[in-house]
Amino acid sequence: MSLFSRFMDGWRKYRKPGYYDEFDYHWTMAIDLDKCTGCQACMTACQAENNIPIVGEEELARGREIQWIRVERYWEGEYPNAKLSFIPIMCQHCDSAPCETVCPVSATYHNQDGLNTQIYNRCIGTRSCAVYCPYEVRYFNYYDHHWDSPLEQQLNPDVTVRGKGVMEKCTFCIQRIREAKDHAKDDGRRRVQDGEVQPACVQTCPSKALVFGDRKDSENEVSVAINDPRKYRVLDELNTDSSVFYLKKVDA
Amino acid sequence: MNVSIVPSLKKLRPVAMLVIVVLLGLVLGYWANAAFLPGTSPEQPIAFSHRIHAGENEIPCMYCHTQARLSPSAGVPSVSKCVGCHLEIATERPQIRRLMSYWDNQEPIPWVKVHDLPDFVHFTHKRHVLAEVECQTCHGPVETMDRIRLTSRAADGTAQANHPWEMGQCLSCHRENEVENGTDCWTCHK
Repeated sequence: MSLFSRFMDGWRKYRKPGYYDEFDYHWTMAIDLDKCTGCQACMTACQAENNIPIVGEEELARGREIQWIRVERYWEGEYPNAKLSFIPIMCQHCDSAPCETVCPVSATYHNQDGLNTQIYNRCIGTRSCAVYCPYEVRYFNYYDHHWDSPLEQQLNPDVTVRGKGVMEKCTFCIQRIREAKDHAKDDGRRRVQDGEVQPACVQTCPSKALVFGDRKDSENEVSVAINDPRKYRVLDELNTDSSVFYLKKVDA
Repeated sequence: MNVSIVPSLKKLRPVAMLVIVVLLGLVLGYWANAAFLPGTSPEQPIAFSHRIHAGENEIPCMYCHTQARLSPSAGVPSVSKCVGCHLEIATERPQIRRLMSYWDNQEPIPWVKVHDLPDFVHFTHKRHVLAEVECQTCHGPVETMDRIRLTSRAADGTAQANHPWEMGQCLSCHRENEVENGTDCWTCHK
């Protein structure tokens, strides 16, 4: 097959409208900002689940922190009428992801579950994806991070400890999705049912502001949530077609 | 005028000697590396023979490696598993005595891992065993080995000794058997 016809095949496949509707799953998260209290439990849970290093004060000051999910804080108005609002931002798993088009080695790509994935050992650390990401959710390992003993004992064996020079980001806890699929296979089912997969942030959210699931089934909890009239997506005008929906009542 | 190349050859002699010495060193080093350094078939604390157990006595793999069908890791049997039989069988042999000393001291046997995948690889024995992949497909003819030797599967499907696993070998098998999402990176990477 010639290079040109291969290119055209790829073009027809990936540029066809509705290509993303053919996914096996369409993992989606809905975040109810009216419920979010900004407690940052999701950040802690993510840190623990995904072996995210603590970079230390000095590196943090240089903007080299690693937080797959971060809670941004916004003040509205002046004291004493100040109003505080929070928005947790993680990788939005865009269906038209800018980061995927730029990676020179295809270390980041869209898989058949509608996830924007990152293959760590393929990454060569050009950091182009972080530049292209409008949400600023990709984090770079500037150093090999170490866990002092006995902290290395709590590392999650299902997640790689990323080395120096590797880009990383939220995976929607893909290791849990994989495990749920494994259990589904054991039960002789092909599909994972609603509520079987919960990323660490969703599991830990005390106010149940975060909902996660497969958008393909319209009866799933997340499908109901994203049909809420309060829904919006961050930077939707960029047509990234992201998979994280935010629910927020707009003050008139 | 009579021009001879002999003087320049004489000048080259030390260089030629150096090249020969370096080449000899490389050959010797390669041989020493293959012969002496722990490599594809490291010495184990007890000279356990898979040939005797799995070959001659035809004990099924999963009699000892019980976790293979249940979990990602196949699991090395506990000392009590060995002792379960060897309280009665071949108790006078020196290797069994050594085993019993571990048992008496209540210590685990420090087996050396031979088939080790990198940390960024997700491999689960369970899915492969339940899909009825023979153990020998990946581990080679274990029932003929006295000491376990690192083995992988060559492109033509035959066992390839002394060769670590490579991504292409996993992929070719996944392609042949049309595994669902078998070529997606996150099926095997983590």
